[in-house]
Amino acid sequence: MLIPLRLSAQTDEQLMLRAARGSDRAFEELYNRHARRLQGFFVRRLGEDSDLAADFMHDTFLRLYAARESYREGKSFRAWFYTIAYNLCKNHLRNRLMMVHDKCEDAMDTTDIEVEMDTSILHDALSQILRDLPEDYAMLFSLHYEEELSVPQVAQITSLPEGTIKSRLHKTMTLIKQKLQQYEDRR
Amino acid sequence: MKIEDKDIIRTAQQLREEQNAQFHVRPWNRHSHFHIPTWLVAVPAAAIIGFVLGIWTNVSNLKEAKLTALVDTVYIKVPEKVNEPDTIVQTDTKQKETPIVKPISTTSAVKHNRPTTVGRSIADDKIRYDLLVKN
Repeated sequence: MLIPLRLSAQTDEQLMLRAARGSDRAFEELYNRHARRLQGFFVRRLGEDSDLAADFMHDTFLRLYAARESYREGKSFRAWFYTIAYNLCKNHLRNRLMMVHDKCEDAMDTTDIEVEMDTSILHDALSQILRDLPEDYAMLFSLHYEEELSVPQVAQITSLPEGTIKSRLHKTMTLIKQKLQQYEDRR
Repeated sequence: MKIEDKDIIRTAQQLREEQNAQFHVRPWNRHSHFHIPTWLVAVPAAAIIGFVLGIWTNVSNLKEAKLTALVDTVYIKVPEKVNEPDTIVQTDTKQKETPIVKPISTTSAVKHNRPTTVGRSIADDKIRYDLLVKN
């Protein structure tokens, strides 16, 4: 088997293993690869405060660096990495999450909705709707659709059963469609 | 047009990309920006290795050259064939000079199978032809 010498040619897991063995350059490569995306995740989850998001992003990497030696081969890097980010978010929004959670569980109608809309309007409408989405649903939507993590990975990160994740993702999609319809009706 | 789930997902990912592109991302370690370029290490290292290898090869060649010279051409004096019968060495004695010693007539006890005088004597020209080596 040929071992790629260039760090950029290595997978996240290979880099993390090297970082766990003491390679700071491997860790820096991971940072360069994921920092921007993680900062975006925090911006969307913490409410458009880019300085706060940058602090959280840096904090996530510091925690990852501190725990690098505990990384074991075969473990999904992205799932591990987003678990730290998710816990930071959860701690920050703990009170708000509980409020949102109680409010949304009761009020959700899960019947399928058909939305007719011009795709050029969808961009602006969705941008606004995702900003106003209840945090509990927005978090799952963000992890699964925006950060492209699989349902088992999201379940691992949030410590929720996969069935609950799927159900909530379906509810989130329904909620988005409801809001899109309302947006279209207002126009 | 009818909005499907996949349209919503695609647009959300597009929004994510647009938003992410706007951020200024802090460097990981502000104090470790200076890195020695790889070529700056590789080029001198290659030069040093080449220099050492060159010297080693040169020394090795010199040693081999001496050995080659030694075995290049060797001149050996081939003895001439003499068909004379076995010589009897006779010592002439002069009675006047050595009156005490009686004249002795001796016959060689050893019978030589090969001529005793072969080639040119070493003492004649002081050259050892058998050891002469041409470089």
